[in-house]
Amino acid sequence: MTAPTTATPQSTGEGPGGRRARLAAYTRVLGPGLIASAAGNDAGGIATYASAGAQFGYRMLFFMLLVGVGLVLVQEMAARLGTFTGKGLAALIREEFSLRVAAFALLCLLVANLGLVVSEFAGIGAAMELFGVSRYLAVPVAAVIVWGLVVLGSYKYAERLFLLMALVFFAYPVAAVLAGPDWGEVASRALWPHLLGTKAFLFLGVAVIGTTISPYMLLYQAAAVADKGIAPDQYRFERVDAVAGAVLACLVAFFIIIATGATIGNTGPLASAAEAARALEPVAGHRAEELFGIGLLGASALAAAVVPLSTAYALSEAIGAERSVSRTFTEAPLFLGLFTGQIVVGAAVALLPGNLISLLINAYVLNGLITPIILGFLVVLTSRRRLLGAAANPPLLRAVATAVVAVVSVLSTVVLVQTVLGWFGIG
Amino acid sequence: MTRRRRAAPGRRLLHPRWQQQRERRITAARAVREALLSLAGLLGRPVVNQAGEEIGGLVDLVARWADDPYPPVTGLVVRVARRQVFVPAEQVVELDRHGARLRSARLDLREVERRQGEVLLARDVLDHQLVDTDGIKVIRAADLYVAKVGEAWRLVGVDVGVQTLLRRLGPARFRWLPTPERVIDWAAIQPFGIDPGGVRLRATARRLHRLRPAELADLLEDLGRPARQALLAELDPATAADALEEMDPEELDALLHELSDEQAATLVASMESDEAADALRELEPGERDELLARLPAATAQRLRRLLAFPEDRAGGFMTSDLVIVEEQTTLAAVAERLREVAADQPDLDTVVVVDPAGRLVDVISILELLLAAPGQRVGELIGPPWPVTVGPEATVDEAADALVDNRRNSVLVVDDQGRPLGCIQADDVVDALLPGRGRLHFPRLLQ
Repeated sequence: MTAPTTATPQSTGEGPGGRRARLAAYTRVLGPGLIASAAGNDAGGIATYASAGAQFGYRMLFFMLLVGVGLVLVQEMAARLGTFTGKGLAALIREEFSLRVAAFALLCLLVANLGLVVSEFAGIGAAMELFGVSRYLAVPVAAVIVWGLVVLGSYKYAERLFLLMALVFFAYPVAAVLAGPDWGEVASRALWPHLLGTKAFLFLGVAVIGTTISPYMLLYQAAAVADKGIAPDQYRFERVDAVAGAVLACLVAFFIIIATGATIGNTGPLASAAEAARALEPVAGHRAEELFGIGLLGASALAAAVVPLSTAYALSEAIGAERSVSRTFTEAPLFLGLFTGQIVVGAAVALLPGNLISLLINAYVLNGLITPIILGFLVVLTSRRRLLGAAANPPLLRAVATAVVAVVSVLSTVVLVQTVLGWFGIG
Repeated sequence: MTRRRRAAPGRRLLHPRWQQQRERRITAARAVREALLSLAGLLGRPVVNQAGEEIGGLVDLVARWADDPYPPVTGLVVRVARRQVFVPAEQVVELDRHGARLRSARLDLREVERRQGEVLLARDVLDHQLVDTDGIKVIRAADLYVAKVGEAWRLVGVDVGVQTLLRRLGPARFRWLPTPERVIDWAAIQPFGIDPGGVRLRATARRLHRLRPAELADLLEDLGRPARQALLAELDPATAADALEEMDPEELDALLHELSDEQAATLVASMESDEAADALRELEPGERDELLARLPAATAQRLRRLLAFPEDRAGGFMTSDLVIVEEQTTLAAVAERLREVAADQPDLDTVVVVDPAGRLVDVISILELLLAAPGQRVGELIGPPWPVTVGPEATVDEAADALVDNRRNSVLVVDDQGRPLGCIQADDVVDALLPGRGRLHFPRLLQ
C-alpha cells in the first residue's frame, strides 16, 4: 500500500506527490493515440510504405514528413474532440449535421473502412502465399476464423498472439541501419523536396496519405478517448499521447521507406510480398520471407477484426440502435450484420484474381480519396465553440487545418480524375 | 411511407380475422398519422403570411421545457432572407404538413435568441440521445411528432424506427408522412444532456427513482458524457451509489474519471465497501490514493484494508460493513447502533458478537433481536446455529461451498485469530460466479 497523498488537482506538478500523480495520469491516458497510430502501420501501411521505397527510393521521405505533420495536427484534433465531448466521431456527425449530410459522411466512413478490411484480407492472403498456401484457401478460412473468434468472444486471446507476430516489423529500423543507406542522401531527401510530378508518384502519395491519415484512425482516436472516460482536465496528458503516437507512426513509416529504399530502391512498383520481404534481408538473410510473412499475417489478422468491429459499433451508435437491451453481441442484429457484412465483402474482394499488393495499395488510395471528406468534418466539428467551448480550434489552427484539408483534397481530386480518365483510356 | 396502398382489391392472402385486424390497425395508424405532424417533414417548409405570400422557410420549432409531460411549442424559427427570426406561437394560425400560416404580415426581424427553459427541437433534440424511462433504454430520436392538444401544439412523441431515417433520407415529398410504428410517448422520455438553460425538472427526479439500480446503471453506461453527467446530477448520492455498484467495472472507471474529485469521493463513500474497493482497484495507484484521501478517515481505512487482499479472494470481495457488539451490550444499545447505520446499510440482517479480545463468538439475526425482550443482553441470545466462517484467503468456490453446505445467506470472514473481518453475502458470490455480461464497448485493441 502506498501512503495517501494530499495532492489536489491544482497542486499537481509541484512536489513529489504531484509528480507521482502526474506520472499516474500519463500512464492512464496513454494508449489510444499510440494504438491508433500503430493501427495505421498495419498490413496495408507496410505495403504502401514499402512500395514507396521500392518505386521511388528515398524520394517519398519529404512527402512523408509533410504527411507526418498533418497526422500530428489531425490526431490532436480527434483526441480533443473525444475528450471534450465524450462522444464518438460518428455520433457527433449524426447530431451536428443534417441527416443527409451525416448519412453521406457515415457512408464514406463505411466505404473507407471496407477498403481497409479488403486490404487486411489481402494482407492475410499475401502472407500465406509466402508460406506456400493458396489465398483461395487462406482468405476464406481466415475470414471464418476471425468472425468466429470475435462472435465466440475468444478474440482477446488471439489478439495478443497477432500483436506479438506483428512486432516482427520492429525489424525494419534494424534492417534500415544494417542495409547501410547513404544517410546524407536520406537526410537531404527527407528535408528537401524531391517530389516528382508523375502520375505514379501522385498515386502513391495519395495512398501514403490514405494509410497514414486514414478516416479509420480518426474514428478510432476520438472514440477510444471518449470510451476511456478521459475528461477535459486530463487533456494535456492525452495530447502527449496523441502526438507521441503520431510521431511514432511516422518514424516507423520512415524506417520502412529507408529500409526498402536502401535494398530494392528504384526497382519499380512492388509486384509481390516476396519482393517486399527482401527489405528485411539485412536482418533475416534468407529467412526474410518467413519473417515478413509472420509480421504481415499478424498485423493483418489483428486489424481484420478490429476495423470491422469498431466501424460496426460507430455506425450502430450513430443510427441509434439500442444497445442497452441487446447487451450481448448476438442480440444486436444491426451490429452483427454490419460486422459480418464487412468481413464477407472484405474477404470476397480479396479473392478477386490479380496482384494482392496492388489491391492493398488501391484500398489505401480509396482511403486517401475519402480522408479529406472526413477531415473536413473533423475540422468543422473541432471549430465549433458550442461543442468544445474554449477548447475549440483557435483561428490560426483552423486556418492551418483547413489548408491541410484543401491540399489533401486537391491531391485526391487529381488522382480521382486521372483514374476515371484512365478508365476511358485518356491520360 | 409505403403503407398507403396496402389493401389491394381481390387480394386476400390472410385469414379474414387477421385481415380485419390489420385493416383496423391501418385505420388507426392513418388516424394517428393525420393527427401527428412530423418535425422532419416540417423542416424547410414554407411559412406564409395571412395573404398567402411566402415569407420564408421553417427552420426549427421552439419548445418550452417545463414540468409538463408534453412540452408546448412556443414558436417557430423562420429563415427570412438570410436571417433566422423567431415567430411566437400566438402568431401562427395554421401549422400542417404544407408549412405554417401566420396571423399577420408583421414580423419582428430580430435574430433568434434562446430564452431560458426553451430548446430548439430540430437542433437540440432531433438526432440526439434521449432516455426512454418506460423501456429503460437510451434511444436516438429519428423523428419528433407534434400534435395539437387543445389550443397549443405540443411535442407528443419520438420516433426511433430505422425506416424513419430512410424516410428522412428519401425525397422531400414523402418526408412529412409520419411512420408511427416505433413511437415512444414523450411523457416517458427524459432528455438528459439537452440543456434548456438552468431548468430542473421535478418530474425527472420522480421518474428516475422508480428505476432499479441495475436499470440506472445500464442508462449510465449507454449515455454520452454530457447526458450521463446530467443523469447523475439528478440522483441523490445513495441512489447514484447503488447504480454505480451495478456498473461494468471499466465503465465505472471511466465514469469516476469524468467526475470531479469531490463528486467521485462522495459517491465512493456511499457505495458498499466491497463494491467501492472493486471500483478503487480499477484506478491507477496515484488516483486511488487521491480519492482515498478525500474519503472520511474511517471509510478510507476500511477500504485500504479491503484493497490489501487480492480481488478474487474472500478478503477482496467481502464487505467489511459489519455491526460488531460485545456480549455485555444491552439490546437497547444494539438497537441504537442499528438505528445509526440503518440508513447506510439497508441490507443489514445480522449483528456480530465478539469477546473482549475481539474474537468471533456468534452471529445474531435481526429476527432474533426483534423477538428478544428489550432488557436482555446480547450474551443471552448466543447459541446454535453457529456462524459459518472462512479465512480471508478463501476462493469464491470455497465461499460458495460454505454457503451451500450450510444453507446460509452469508458467511463471515475471520482472520487467523478468529477476529471478524467482513462478511460475504450470497449475492456477492453470485456476482463473482456469473460470467461477465458481455457488453459492447467501442472495440479497442488490447482493452
